Amino acid sequence: MLLDVIQGTENGGFVIIQDTVECCGRQLLQSCIAAALHREEDVHVLAFEVCEEDVRLRLDRKCEQRLCVHNGYTDPLGWSEHPLFTVHQFISEELNVHLSGSEESKPATLVIDSLSWILRHHPPAVVCQRLQELRRGGALRRVVALLHCDLHQQGIVGSLCHLATAVISVVPGDRGQQAVAKTTRRTKSGKVTHEEEYFSVKEDLTVTVESRPSHHGRPQTEEDEREVDPAANLTFNLRLSEGEKEAKEKLSLPFVFSAEKKSALLQPRPGSGRIVYDPDASDDFDPEDPDDDLAV
Amino acid sequence: MNMAMSVSNTGERRSQQNTRPACNTTSFQKKSRSKLVSIPGTRPSVQNGQLIVSTGVTSLDYVIGGGLAVGTLLLVEEDKYDSYSRMLLKYFLAEGVVCGHHVFLGSARDPPDEIMQDLPAPILDDIPSNAVNMGQVTACDSEDQGSMKIAWRYQNLPKVQTALASSSRFGHYYDASKTMARELREAVKCSTFFLPHELPAESHAEPSPISEAYRLLLRSIQELIRQEGFDGTAPQKSRNILRIGLHSLGSPLWADDICCEEKPTQASSLTSFLYGLRALLRSSLCTCMVTVPSHLIQNRAIMDRVTRLCDTAIALESFRGSERETNPLYKDYHGLLHVKQTPHLNCLVCEAPDTKDLAFKLKRKQFSIEENGFDDYNDDNLVGRTLGPCSLPAWEELTAALKGIFYNMAHRC
Repeated sequence: MLLDVIQGTENGGFVIIQDTVECCGRQLLQSCIAAALHREEDVHVLAFEVCEEDVRLRLDRKCEQRLCVHNGYTDPLGWSEHPLFTVHQFISEELNVHLSGSEESKPATLVIDSLSWILRHHPPAVVCQRLQELRRGGALRRVVALLHCDLHQQGIVGSLCHLATAVISVVPGDRGQQAVAKTTRRTKSGKVTHEEEYFSVKEDLTVTVESRPSHHGRPQTEEDEREVDPAANLTFNLRLSEGEKEAKEKLSLPFVFSAEKKSALLQPRPGSGRIVYDPDASDDFDPEDPDDDLAV
Repeated sequence: MNMAMSVSNTGERRSQQNTRPACNTTSFQKKSRSKLVSIPGTRPSVQNGQLIVSTGVTSLDYVIGGGLAVGTLLLVEEDKYDSYSRMLLKYFLAEGVVCGHHVFLGSARDPPDEIMQDLPAPILDDIPSNAVNMGQVTACDSEDQGSMKIAWRYQNLPKVQTALASSSRFGHYYDASKTMARELREAVKCSTFFLPHELPAESHAEPSPISEAYRLLLRSIQELIRQEGFDGTAPQKSRNILRIGLHSLGSPLWADDICCEEKPTQASSLTSFLYGLRALLRSSLCTCMVTVPSHLIQNRAIMDRVTRLCDTAIALESFRGSERETNPLYKDYHGLLHVKQTPHLNCLVCEAPDTKDLAFKLKRKQFSIEENGFDDYNDDNLVGRTLGPCSLPAWEELTAALKGIFYNMAHRC
C-alpha cells in the first residue's frame, strides 16, 4: 500500500509522513516528489528545513522545470527586508497566488517540509483550517507533508492525522538497514486499511517495498457480507423441474370462484350476506330435484 | 418549559396517537379524548409520555429508551476514523427527510451539501401483489396487475405504505449502499451552516467565553428557530420538528483547540456552546445530534463536562485498525457501543438497556446493535441477540399499544 500512496492515485488527498529522530522520513518525501514529477505534474515544495539544493539533489534533471521550490530556509521569519518565503505566508492568501501562478490550470501537488516548522509558529487549529482550505481550493491535487511527531504533543499529532487521508509512520525496523512503514489509508467511503511493510529508498528515489514483518499479523481485510446459500450441497432436491412447475400451475386451487361470485364477494354490501352458489365440477345439481331425495 | 410537554395534553398523556393513514386495513379507531395535533414522525413515548422521534436507527432507538425525545441533545462520541459516527449522522438526517422534518446541518470539514447528497436511501415496504409473490407470473397469465390469484379477497384493499408521503411509521430502514433520491431530499427544507463560509476573514477577537465559530453557529440556529416558528409561534396545524445535525464539534476545524492542547486556551468554549444549545432546544420543537471526536480531546475533564451537558450520550469504538480486529471474540461485529448517559426527563427513573455490553455491526440494510453474549456449550460461537423489537415495526406498535392500554386501565382505577 505504501507504493499506492506514494504514487498518489486519488485526488484531494492529504498524506502525512510521520517520522521521529530515530528514523527520518525525508527520503520518502523526496520519493513522493520524484513520483509526482515523473507523472508530469507540477510540484510546489515549501522548504523550511532544507535548502533548495538539497531538495533538488537527487531529482531527475529533465523534470526539474515543473518543480517550484519556495525557499523558506534562508529567511523563514522575514527578518531581512526581502524574504523569499516566510512561514506567515503559508497562512495568508499569498500562497494561493503562488500556487495558481502557472499557466496551465492543472492542479499541482504541494509538498510541505515540514509541517512541524509551521506548527511552531502558528496555532494548530489555524494550521488545520488552512490545510483544509488549501485542499478544498481546487488549485491543489494533493498535499504531502512531513511531520516530526516527537516534537509535538499527542493531541496535535492526532488532530492532524485525523484530517489526513493517509498516514505513513516511519519507524526503525528490527533488521539493521531497513525501516518499517506503517501505512493507514482512509477512503472517502469510510473504509480504513492498515499495512506494515519494510521499505528502502534507492539512489534514484524509487521505493522498493519488501515483505511485511512476520510477527505482525496481517490485518483482516474487510469482506462483504457473503451470504452462504443454504440450498447448496444438500442431499435432497429443493428445486422444481420444468415439468413439475407446469403441473404446479395447472393445479386448480380450492377457492377459485367464478367471476360473478368473486365480484359479488368483493363489493361491499350492506345488510345481510348474500349466498351465491357456484356449482363445483363434482356437484350434480338437478334443478327439478334440488334436494336430491326423489326416487326417480 | 419543555415545548414538547405543552404539545401533548397534560392530562391524557398516555393516550396513543392514531397515526395510521385514513384508509386502514382495519376499521378499528381508538377514541382519542383530546384533540392533539400529531406531528409526522413523532409519537409519545410509552415510558414517560414524552414526544419522541426516531434517530433513524431502530436498534439505537431501543437502546436509548424508545427514541430521542424532542427538545433533547444526543451526543455521539466518534470512533477513531469517523466512519460509523458519520453514518449515524446520515441516518439521523435521512430520517428527518423521510418524516418531512426541517433539517439543519452544521459542519466545518465537509461542505454540508456533500453530506446531504450522500444520505442513504430509505427502504419502502410496499407489498407486491400476491401473484408476483407466488412466482406465478407466466406468459399465459392474462390478468392485470391488480387482480390476485389466491388472495383475491384483498385485492381491492389499498396497499400498505407505498408512498413515502403517507409514511407515518416510527423508524425506518435504510439501504446504505444506495443514496437517497434527489426529489426526496429536495422535498424537505434544509438549512446548512458551513463554517469556512460563515467565518469572517477578520475576527474581532473580543474576549468571550464562547469562541466566534460557536457563537455564529448558535446564532444561526436561533434565527432559524425564530423565523420558522419552532419555538411555538407557528400555528398549531403546521407544526414541525427541526432536526439539527452538527458534525465533529470540538475538532480543530471549528477553531477550537481542545483536541490539540492539554490546557486549552478556550477550554469552556464548547461547553458554553452546548449549554446555550440545550437551552434553545428545551424551548422549541427541536432535536439535535452532535458528534464529537472524543478520542482527540486531551483533557478528560472537558469530555466529562461535555457528556454532562448533553442529554443522551453514546460512544462508538470501532475495531478497525486496532488489535481487536483480529480477535475471534469480535469477528462478527464492527465495533462496540457504549451508552454513557441516558436522560431523566420529567421522571425519576431512566430507561436503560439490560446490558452494557453492546456491539454494533453496520450491515447494508441495517445498523444493528447486539448484545455480546456467550454460548455456554460452544465457546467459539457468540450468540448475539439483536436488540429491540424484531424487524417488523408492526410488532413495536402492537407492544406500545398494549402498554398504553395497560397504563390507561391503571389510571382509571
